[in-house]
Amino acid sequence: MIRIGLRDAKAHLHRFVMSIIAIALGVAFVIGAFCFRGMLNDQVSQMMATNADADVYVRSTIVSDKHEPNTEVKFSDYESLPVSLLKDVRDVPGVTYAGDAQMLTNIVLVGKNGTAVTTMGPPTMGIGVSKGSWRGAKLTQGHWPEADNQIVLHSGAAEQSGLKVGDTTKVVFPDGPRDMKVVGTFTTDTAQLGAVIVGLDPSLVKHYVEQEGESTDEASRFTVYGNATTPLNEQQQQQLADRINKALPKDSHAIAVTGDSLRNETTKTTQDALGFIQPLILIFAAIALFVGSFIIANTFTMIVRESMRGYALLRSIGASPAQVFMTVVVQAIVLGLIGSVIGVFLGWGMLELIAKGMGSMGMPLSGSPVPSVADIIIGVLVGIVVTLIGASLPARRAALAPPIQAMNETVNPEKPVRRRGVIGLIMIVLGALAWWFAYALATTGTKDTAFSAFDGLHAGWPLGVGAGLVVIGVIVIGPAIVTPVSKVLGWIPEHMFSVTGRLATRNIARSKRRTANTAAALFVGLAIVSCIGVVASSVKVSLHDLVDNNLNANYVLKSASMTTSLPKKAIEEVKQLDDVDKSARLETLMGVKYDNKMVMPMTTSADLFESISRIRDSQGDPVQAFKQGEAIVGKTMAEDHEWKLGQTITLKAENVVVDEQATAQAQQQYMADVQARVQAAQQKAQQLAAAGDLAGAQAQGQEAQKIMEDAQHVDPATLVRTTKKVVRENVRIGAIANEALYNDSMFLPASIADKLTPQAMRLTQQMYVLAKPGTDLETLHKQLTDIAKPFYTIAVLDRDQYKSSLSETVNQVLAILYALLALSVVIAIFGIVNTLALNVSERTKEIGLLRAIGTSRGQIRGMLAIEAVIMSVFGTLLGIIVGVGAGFVIRAVFSNQGMTTLSIPWATLLLFLALSIVVGLLSSVSPASRALKQPVLDAVKSE
Amino acid sequence: MNTTEQPNTTDPVVARAVDLFKQYGTDDNAVIALNHINVEFKRGELTAIMGPSGSGKSTLMHCMAGLDTPTSGDVFVEGLEVSSMNQRQLTKLRRKEIGFIFQSFNLVPTLTAKENILLPLQIAKRPIDMDWFNKVVDVVGLANRLDHRPSQLSGGQQQRVACARAMMEQPSVIFADEPTGNLDSRSSREVLSFLQQSVREYGQSIVMVTHDPRAASFADRVLVLADGSITNDMQHPTYAEILEVFADREEEEGEEEQRAEGEAR
Repeated sequence: MIRIGLRDAKAHLHRFVMSIIAIALGVAFVIGAFCFRGMLNDQVSQMMATNADADVYVRSTIVSDKHEPNTEVKFSDYESLPVSLLKDVRDVPGVTYAGDAQMLTNIVLVGKNGTAVTTMGPPTMGIGVSKGSWRGAKLTQGHWPEADNQIVLHSGAAEQSGLKVGDTTKVVFPDGPRDMKVVGTFTTDTAQLGAVIVGLDPSLVKHYVEQEGESTDEASRFTVYGNATTPLNEQQQQQLADRINKALPKDSHAIAVTGDSLRNETTKTTQDALGFIQPLILIFAAIALFVGSFIIANTFTMIVRESMRGYALLRSIGASPAQVFMTVVVQAIVLGLIGSVIGVFLGWGMLELIAKGMGSMGMPLSGSPVPSVADIIIGVLVGIVVTLIGASLPARRAALAPPIQAMNETVNPEKPVRRRGVIGLIMIVLGALAWWFAYALATTGTKDTAFSAFDGLHAGWPLGVGAGLVVIGVIVIGPAIVTPVSKVLGWIPEHMFSVTGRLATRNIARSKRRTANTAAALFVGLAIVSCIGVVASSVKVSLHDLVDNNLNANYVLKSASMTTSLPKKAIEEVKQLDDVDKSARLETLMGVKYDNKMVMPMTTSADLFESISRIRDSQGDPVQAFKQGEAIVGKTMAEDHEWKLGQTITLKAENVVVDEQATAQAQQQYMADVQARVQAAQQKAQQLAAAGDLAGAQAQGQEAQKIMEDAQHVDPATLVRTTKKVVRENVRIGAIANEALYNDSMFLPASIADKLTPQAMRLTQQMYVLAKPGTDLETLHKQLTDIAKPFYTIAVLDRDQYKSSLSETVNQVLAILYALLALSVVIAIFGIVNTLALNVSERTKEIGLLRAIGTSRGQIRGMLAIEAVIMSVFGTLLGIIVGVGAGFVIRAVFSNQGMTTLSIPWATLLLFLALSIVVGLLSSVSPASRALKQPVLDAVKSE
Repeated sequence: MNTTEQPNTTDPVVARAVDLFKQYGTDDNAVIALNHINVEFKRGELTAIMGPSGSGKSTLMHCMAGLDTPTSGDVFVEGLEVSSMNQRQLTKLRRKEIGFIFQSFNLVPTLTAKENILLPLQIAKRPIDMDWFNKVVDVVGLANRLDHRPSQLSGGQQQRVACARAMMEQPSVIFADEPTGNLDSRSSREVLSFLQQSVREYGQSIVMVTHDPRAASFADRVLVLADGSITNDMQHPTYAEILEVFADREEEEGEEEQRAEGEAR
């Protein structure tokens, strides 16, 4: 029986092409989903091994208040360590290097061509490096930085900037650009995902870290190497850690742990953060496999029907139903295996392409996209299982063929679809209720529902449950609504092409399940895309509306990177311009807490609320309050913290300030130290002179002089001592703004802000500029760009540019989604082609009859084209309706989080609809040709 | 329009085969289905083609109707050369000159009886003569069954719908392939008398293939085929006469078989 199956498989191979493609695509998606994750994981762990390559880390044992309760305590959740402990660590035998690595993430490297080196997303990092401080970094040219004005570049950074050893360039620091000389280049074993890594002198890094208000007396952790060239294995790491732990003072609250333990944790955290990509790909894998199994079922239905006489013969000569079943199943296994294997390679190739693409977009990957054995096994298994599911029903039909099968064309009438209709309807209604509930939760507030069980429930829950119910409900109800929908959709073709239109419309309703399943593939893909389309469009329009309605500024100055501030000098220069009427910068105060929770208050000038961006809806008068030294709080923020108008709240800020006393002491100490050494040298010189060693005496004299000179040149930053200072300030809430732009914000007047947070701990990302009435805007624009130019990191945006800068991310998300949609449409086309092919093969006689009574070839093609178009429009329409519905509810639920305006992208949706018609027309071409290839005679012959 | 395509309706011959030869397969496997047949079908006659399985009777009809192409020889319907037509011309021929009734599966299952009857005219975008429709429906006795789907009709009723459909077009000639092959004797009689009536009363030309002598006895003329050649051509034969022809043939065949078996031994 297996032999018969194999022989049948060989004979039917050409009919399996479409099934194989479908299975291969599905498996490719599955492989892609798993391997993409594998590739990223690989990349992340490789980067960890290079970038966090210490043998031992020393950390504090005290959990800081950064730690979120009820979560695992991570490395970053511990307090910092006093740098003074380093001494104890360095003395431990076996320690070749111990240090506190520090890093700047708010610098910008200016490339060879004089423009800032920017990336699609990866950061620019300034790392304090000296010989031995980073084992994973290998110097390829030049030397490590030895002075503040020297830098070394990572190979990736050198490539992106075009800079070479010996070049002089600028690096933009928070206080402005500095001239720097490239003194070396280095490589790491792994690519750095496009990050621009600049090695700086450690003291320079320290200087800027202090400027940012962070203490340099403390470090989050120490890096310890036990060998200058080769990493220690886990056991050696543990031994070194044990030795260090013994040497650490009992009251230091510090502990040494192995490097591996930190690497494992960070790797896991990063990988979890990237995990969202996998489910997204898996959704499309599911669509592909669903269509695949469906195509297989169709294909086998055709094959089984055509071979029915053969099966009847096998049965009549004594084959058991199980044996007949096997002949079909064997074919399915062969088919599944071929499809899966192709799919594995296809998925692998897809990933190689993605890796290449990311590389050319400036994110080189050194992680391996090669699927693991487990991935391959999963992929092949999924492919075969899906094939078997698809083939099982037709195989059963074959097995149950009565030994004498009277072949007749009349297809058994379908089981009624009413039950599915009722179940589907119930699910849709429940889903809609869940959506309505989510909407109610979001609009009336979650604190106080009629049912205490739901109090505090986030609206996202019913929203998700509702979406799931509606989507599944629509798939379930599908067959039941095929007839009415085909009547409605068939209205136009029936009036345009009366006969073919009517035939097509009725044909659609003949196998309702098949039609509905075919349409379902398009439905799911389009539902996802239209939903996200509505949400994205709403976000975009809301943002644009905000700018149009709420912002009067003519120009916006924006910092080029998320972590850098607008340089103060530039801000001052802009303020001085004659053409500038009003300007307001938004400064975010870092490290301010209320009730031990981070709040990110901003400060600005009253001009913002008075003339640049008025608050039109508020409790209390915002301008008045702000001028009186009171805070303005956004509505959402006030609700979250349960603040009321007029309430006085206490804000706490923890600042690092220069400890004047300690600094003076350190300087004195240093001077005393220098003096002592000079004296010692002079004494020695005198002694030597007395002993007659004149040369020696001279040398010592020079030594003494050198010590004096060095002391004069010493970087005063190294002698600054800092201290932590906690500031508490009371502020009265003078206004609560109900304005989308400010819903999540808190504004403090300068008087309070200055007391809370020093300038260094503020981040100024934006500045609004309002021109004087009657000013020539082009002149102003030129003046602004002239100011911005030397700072490299300031973008001057006019209103339109500002708007598009706000929606840039939204557009990127949409682009990715449309690419995925394109793939699901390709799969859906296969589905329609296959369904039509099955329909045609079932209706061979009928089509022959139509031809015999004078239907032209064009009319047959037209009839099948209309059928295909109705099918694809059916799926597309359902998808658009459900997707827009979901988008509508999501928009309403999150309206106070920036989606103030509902915008349905009608043009895009209409385009989808038009495309679905094209898809239908295209899909019908090959089945129609197959139908016409059949001679009329064969179709109507009674034998 | 090409002038040669204009049908000649005054010709007493509605369809004609000239030296028609049809061979299936080649060389050793060659089977001759039609062996240089010359035949003319008269206008306004019900002609029955009879013969045992494999005699070539169906092939003859399929070639005449343009459903099959002869190996050599020509077929003319209304003076138009069918055997050299392309698909477009064939479609046009089927719309205007030819009607079909098959043994089974005559109707489009998704359409009602009425829609099935009117389908050819609608496909050809020809105007519908409702008087003629009512008359035809009345004759086949389906007036109260018009809104039924084929699945709701009996085999006889389905076949009468198929007859009505063929009549509706008023084609030059209707080809009927075993129209009673799947019917019981009562239904057969109904269908056959309708065919006979349409010839007598409305001058319709019908060519019918059958192996049932009872059905053939309704015909004006009976052609008998054997091994690809016309062996008998009878005008208005009785049932008995037809039976006699076949009885002779069976005897001959029986003798031949015995001889063949004897030689094999």
